[in-house]
Amino acid sequence: MLKFPKFLGALALAGIAISTSAQASGDVAKGEKLFNRCKACHAVGAGAKNKIGPHLNEVFGRTAGTIDGFKYSSAMKKAGEGNLVWSEETIDEFLAKPRTFVKGTKMSFAGFRKEADRENVIAYLKTFSETGADAKEEAMPATEEKMAAAAPAAAPRPLAKDAELPSHGVFHLGRRATDEEIAAWDIDIRPDGAGLPDGKGTAAAGEPIFTEQCASCHGDFGEGRDRWPVLAGGFDTLQEERPEKTVGSYWPYLSTVYDYVRRAMPFGDARSLSDDEVYAITAYILYLNDIVTDLDFELSKDNFSTIKLPNEANFVDDDRPAETHYTNKTEPCMQNCKADVRITGRARVLDVTPDDDNQGGQIE
Amino acid sequence: MPPKPDRTRTQDAVKSDTEMSAGPSRRQLLSAGLATGVGVAAAGMAPKAVAATADPAITTIQDWNKYLGDGVDARPYGVPSPYEKEAVRRNVAWLTADPKSSVNFTPLHELDGIITPNGLCFERHHGGIAEYDPAEHRLMINGLVETPLVFTMEDIKRFPRENKVYFLECAANSGMEWRGAQLNGCQFTHGMVHCVMYTGVSLRRLLEEAGVRTNGKWVLAEGADASAMTRSIPLEKALDDCLVAYRMNGEALRPEQGYPLRLVVPGWEGNMWVKWLRRLEVGDQPWHQREETSKYTDLLENGKARRFTWVMDVKSVITSPSPQAPITHGRGPLVISGIAWSGNGTIKRVDVSVDGGKNWRTARIDGPSLPKALHRFYLDLDWDGSELLIQSRAIDERGFIQPTKDELRAARGENSIYHNNGIQTWYVKADGTVENVEVS
Repeated sequence: MLKFPKFLGALALAGIAISTSAQASGDVAKGEKLFNRCKACHAVGAGAKNKIGPHLNEVFGRTAGTIDGFKYSSAMKKAGEGNLVWSEETIDEFLAKPRTFVKGTKMSFAGFRKEADRENVIAYLKTFSETGADAKEEAMPATEEKMAAAAPAAAPRPLAKDAELPSHGVFHLGRRATDEEIAAWDIDIRPDGAGLPDGKGTAAAGEPIFTEQCASCHGDFGEGRDRWPVLAGGFDTLQEERPEKTVGSYWPYLSTVYDYVRRAMPFGDARSLSDDEVYAITAYILYLNDIVTDLDFELSKDNFSTIKLPNEANFVDDDRPAETHYTNKTEPCMQNCKADVRITGRARVLDVTPDDDNQGGQIE
Repeated sequence: MPPKPDRTRTQDAVKSDTEMSAGPSRRQLLSAGLATGVGVAAAGMAPKAVAATADPAITTIQDWNKYLGDGVDARPYGVPSPYEKEAVRRNVAWLTADPKSSVNFTPLHELDGIITPNGLCFERHHGGIAEYDPAEHRLMINGLVETPLVFTMEDIKRFPRENKVYFLECAANSGMEWRGAQLNGCQFTHGMVHCVMYTGVSLRRLLEEAGVRTNGKWVLAEGADASAMTRSIPLEKALDDCLVAYRMNGEALRPEQGYPLRLVVPGWEGNMWVKWLRRLEVGDQPWHQREETSKYTDLLENGKARRFTWVMDVKSVITSPSPQAPITHGRGPLVISGIAWSGNGTIKRVDVSVDGGKNWRTARIDGPSLPKALHRFYLDLDWDGSELLIQSRAIDERGFIQPTKDELRAARGENSIYHNNGIQTWYVKADGTVENVEVS
C-alpha cells in the first residue's frame, strides 16, 4: 500500500522525538541568517511565493509534494503519497542529507551537517507555521485568513545593486571551489602516479571482486564476452589482421586502468568500488596479463608507478601530415588520370548481423 | 496523384539484390532503404514529355484544399511531416556491445545545406544519455589556476557569447571501411558527422577567469555522465578556438548532445567535445586517459600506434545519389549533392568524377564557406542514363588533398579504425540504384 515505507520509520521516530522534546530549542535569529543559504530557491513569510523551490509558509504539517502549482520531482511526490509529512523531525532528517532522505529530490542543496544549524533553521521556519507536525487537521483555511490579514511586507527581493562581486578574474563570475568539492571530483590519475589515493590491494583479493563485478562482460579471465572489451592476452597480435588490443598487449600505462575503473566501472554502477578494491582489481588485471605472476602481489600507491606495461614504447606522435599523399600538395590530376577503372570491391554490407564477429572493426 | 508502386518491379529489385549478395541481413538494410527503393521502381525510368491523362492531383479537389487543418497549438514543439519518417538516425547493431555505449548515424542522404537539424545529429554515448536538472549542473575549473572556480549555468550565461558553426566528426567515422567497401549507405559510411551553430562562451574567457598559471600546459575536460568522459587537450588549442556551448541551432543543447553544457573543439575529433561538461583541470602533462590510449589511437601496420591524432582530415562524400538515395528519375538533369569538411579550415575546392577517378570536374560550393564547418557542393549533371562511378575529392585551404583509400592503406595498413578520410566511390547502375564499391 505505502509507496514510501521508509517514512513509517521516520514518523515513528518523530513520536519518540516529540515525547523527549529534544528539539525545538533552536535560535530564531541564527536560523534567519542560516536561511540566507536557502533564499535563492525558497521564500518564506507573508506573500511568499514558489520560486525554484516551494514556499515554506505553513510547512509544518504539510504533506510532502502537495503545494498546488509547484513542479515537484516525482521522488518528492511519491514521498508525499507515502505519507511523508513535514515535521520538526522529518525536516531535520531531510536537511541533514536531502538527497539521501528523498532520493531523487530536485533540491540541490547538500544539507546542513551540524545539528545545531538544523535546529536553528527549523526554529526560524516555525515562526512562519501556525500548525505543528501533530496538528495537521487545522490546516489551511485559517492560515489563509491569517496570511491575508498579516499582508504587508513580502520579503523583498534583494536589489541587484547590492549583490557582492567576487574579486577574482575579469568578469567576477562564479565562486571559489572548496577543497572538499575539488577532492570530490578531481580523481584523475596520471602515468607518473599523480592523483593516486592511499590504499592497496592484492591480485588474490582482486579475483573474487573481478568475478563478481567485471566478469559478466569481460569474462572470468578478461577474455571478453560478446563484443565487450577483451582485457587480457593478445600479445604479439598488433601486426596481425585482427589485432587484440588488451591492457597487456596495447595499453601504454597502468594509471589508465586505475583511473578508468574508478571513474566508470562497473558499467552502470560507476563510483561504487572502494579505492582498495580498485587497487585489487588493477592488480588482478596485471595478473591476468602475466605482468605479475604472483597472486599475492600487492599493488599500492607506493609501487604503482614502478609497473610498466609492455607496449608503452610503441606509441608515437601524430605524423599524418608527413604521409606522402599529404606532402605532395601539387595540383591534382583532372583529365585522363588513369587508363582503366575496374570495380575491385563491393559492399559486403550485407552481413549486418549483430553477432557476426567477422565483420568490420569495433569503434568503441 | 503519383503512380502506385509497382510491386512486381520492387520485388524483382529486392530479389536481384539478394542474389547478388549472400546473407540474410541484406533484408535489414533493404528495410531501411526500401521506401526510396519503391520510388525507383515506381517512377519509371522513361521520361514523359506530355501526360496521357489529366493528373488527378490537379483535377481533384483535395481534402487539404477544402477542409481546415490543425490550429496553431496543435504542435507546440513542431515535428517533421509524417511523410519524412525516413529521415531518422539509425544504428548498426553489431558494431558495439550495448546501446548505452554505442553510436548511431546522421541520415546525410536525407539532408541538404550545411546545418544538421538538432534531432538528426548522430549520437555517441559511453554511458548513456545523462539527463538532469540544469539547476544542478556545475562547471569546476581546478588544477594549475590562481583561483579554482565553480560556475552555475547562470554564471556561464553571463559571460560574453559567441555564435559559431562547426562540424563535429567522430574519429571512427568511416572506420568500418578500412578493409573494403562494407556498408551500403552514406548514413552508415559517413554519418558520424554533423554541423550546427553553437552558442557559448570561449573556453579562453573561462580559463582567464580562473587565471592559468604559467606552468599550465594541458587541460583535462571531464563529463558528468556515467562514463565521466575525460580527454586531455593542449592548452594552446584550449586558448585558441574552443567554446563551452549551451545552445545548438539557437535552442538549448539536446540531452543526447550534452545538455546543459558541452565542450566544442573545432576541427578536432568528436570524442574530445566532452558532453555534460562539468570540470576543466589545468595541468602540466597530459593524463593519458582511456579514450586517448586504449581508444582513439591509430594502430599502424608496423604495430606502432599514433596517439593524440586530434585533427580531422580533409574529407568529402556524395550524399545523393547514394545507396539509400537512388536516382528515381530518368536521364536528363541530375543533381549530384555532397558535403565536404576539414579540421584545417575552409574547403577551397571539391572535384567530382563520374568515371571512377579518370576525369574530374570542379563542383559548385553553395552556401556559406566557414572554417571547420560542413560545405555543401553540387555538380549539376546531364545524365545520359549510363552507369556511373561517382566520387568526390576535397581540397582544404591549407592545400591538403583528400587521399584515396588505397593511399591511406599504403601509409597505415588496415587496422587504424580511426581517421579514414579516403575518397568514397558509389556505383550508380542503369536503373538508378546505387552501391558502395571500391575501384582500381
